[in-house]
Amino acid sequence: MNRLLIVDDDTELCALLAERLGADGFVLHAAHDGKEGLERAISGGYSLVILDVMLPRMGGMELLKELRARSSVPVLMLTARGDDIDRIIGLEVGADDYLPKPFNPRELIARIRAILRRLDERRTGPDRFTAGDITIDATVREAWAAGRSLHLTTIEFALLEVLVHNAGRTLTREYLTDAALGRKLGVFDRTIDVHISNLRKKLDAHRGIERIKTIRGSGYMLAPRRPSEEL
Amino acid sequence: MPRLFLKIFLWFWATVVLTGISLVLAFVLQPQGAPSRWHASLADTARYFGAAAVGALEQGGVPAASEYINRLAEDAHIHGCIFDDAGNALAGEYCSEFTGMAAHVAKGEPSDFAMRHGLVRMAVLIRRGDGHVYIYASELIAGPQAAFGPNPMILLLRGGVALIVSGLVCYFLTLYLTTPILRLRTVAQQITAGQLSVRADLRMELRRDELGDLVRDFNRMANKTEHLISSQRQLLYDVSHELRSPLARMNVALDLLRGRVREDPALNRMEIDLQRLNEMIGRLLTVAKLEATSTLQTPVRVNLSELVSSVASDANFEAQERGSHVDVVQAAGLAVLGDPNLLRSAIENVLRNAIRFTEPGTAVEVLLRAGSTISANEAIVIVRDHGSGVPEDELTNIFKPFYRVTDSGSRDSRGSGLGLAITERIVRLHGGSIRARNDADGGLRVEMIFPRAFPLVK
Repeated sequence: MNRLLIVDDDTELCALLAERLGADGFVLHAAHDGKEGLERAISGGYSLVILDVMLPRMGGMELLKELRARSSVPVLMLTARGDDIDRIIGLEVGADDYLPKPFNPRELIARIRAILRRLDERRTGPDRFTAGDITIDATVREAWAAGRSLHLTTIEFALLEVLVHNAGRTLTREYLTDAALGRKLGVFDRTIDVHISNLRKKLDAHRGIERIKTIRGSGYMLAPRRPSEEL
Repeated sequence: MPRLFLKIFLWFWATVVLTGISLVLAFVLQPQGAPSRWHASLADTARYFGAAAVGALEQGGVPAASEYINRLAEDAHIHGCIFDDAGNALAGEYCSEFTGMAAHVAKGEPSDFAMRHGLVRMAVLIRRGDGHVYIYASELIAGPQAAFGPNPMILLLRGGVALIVSGLVCYFLTLYLTTPILRLRTVAQQITAGQLSVRADLRMELRRDELGDLVRDFNRMANKTEHLISSQRQLLYDVSHELRSPLARMNVALDLLRGRVREDPALNRMEIDLQRLNEMIGRLLTVAKLEATSTLQTPVRVNLSELVSSVASDANFEAQERGSHVDVVQAAGLAVLGDPNLLRSAIENVLRNAIRFTEPGTAVEVLLRAGSTISANEAIVIVRDHGSGVPEDELTNIFKPFYRVTDSGSRDSRGSGLGLAITERIVRLHGGSIRARNDADGGLRVEMIFPRAFPLVK
């Protein structure tokens, strides 16, 4: 599982990256516009997609929306540095992580590895966990709340997994960033908060309850609801 | 609108009054013409009433003449008196007052004339067919009273009607002129607020007068402005994209190079400068973007106390790496309307700046509190460091882009020199103000004041 797709209109950058990632054992294929990128991403032959926000023919955000409707392949967004809006929207639409462009290639490789590790994890021991009315299955990477399938992205699943394992306990943002994204919490880094917010929306859709509670100043906690509580 | 109405109304009446005055002046200054004709017509009137009174005298004697003169006084407010050719009063009213004039005429003058308070007194010679000669002296109404009548109530009524009619005319004239102006003003305000695509009503463009011209020119100007602004935005976007692409490639190429040559300090130097260059492009773009924005697009409620605490805890990480720390001294429960991302970056920039300049081992203090003396509705964010401060005469300059404090002790090549400039613009965009001063016991104190804050309800 080391075939990656990059969607970026900068052909020279793609070539340089293919060479650099090749040194670390990855095979990087490139698509140079949004339409082509979407087709190849949907085709399913890649374990991760690196997606630039600014693309000809079809913008990165639009591509991501279409892709998320059909596939849960992990997506790493490349955004312009300083453009917080792009980054936040990207994460909200369903990107797993982001990297401001220009980036350090070592950082890029570290993030790719962190996401792929979540995907490859095969747990020993029981695969099915339950906390209240939330059930997760690590083998098929699927989660349900009150019997409803949640359609989570890779990082959202990893995040929920950690929360379910530690239900009722407060987890710090540092811990969650490390556990779900496999990296240190950066200064002024709000990635984990956007993922939590996405997870909340999927968990509590059409309900006025908050299963994931914000613990001011320390982090987040999953407060499981027993199925009997829902009358 | 009322202001313009009042002006038009006053101008209207000034015109009326000035016209009146100039007419009277022309009338008085004319050597012959009008005054003598006016004089002659008054004499004719006097002669007409005089002949009638004398006729009554000759036919019915003094009582008939008196009755006629009295009736004239009641009906037409004309007072008169008949004298014989020697100047002795025969019949009439106020005869004693007319004696002098009658005597004057009796001496052989054709008539005598005096005018006072809009009343004309005049004595005329009346020759009867049978050779008898009488003198008739009378008081006639001339001047303004002749026009309006002597009754002050009627005068008031007519004045009132004139005021109301002229007021209505002026009102509708004002309405006609100001309606398009007010509509244009609304559009101008919308454009100022950032809705660049708004245009004045096309129907207003169809007016075939100066206002129509104004509306057409206004719309043309708005088109031009919108085009300029959008192309400038596009340019900034393109520049940042174009500058960053080679930077991104250089980063990858540098990393490839690292794999091929042995470790070299020059490579690290390059990497640091690439990073710095990139940061500066980003911040320059932010400054330019903020300059182009005059108002916040969609302000939302921002919990300042939460924001300050969260930025402070983030900044504390950075501070600890440098051996200092960030203390939140006070965080009052306050919120403002604004853009949360911009506000975050405003406070973040000041904090990062403070962390850079505070002495190792000291604290950067952050404080959020409600208004001071000026207004109770304001929220004040204060960031104070324990560094060497800034020379007094340079305090206002630190918010300028790329400004470097000349004091060599505080020189620090890190940072883009744009952080505080960005903060200043963000604070201004939120209607607030920012100021810096040196604290009494050393260190810089930056205060951001946001008006229109409201307390958080628990």
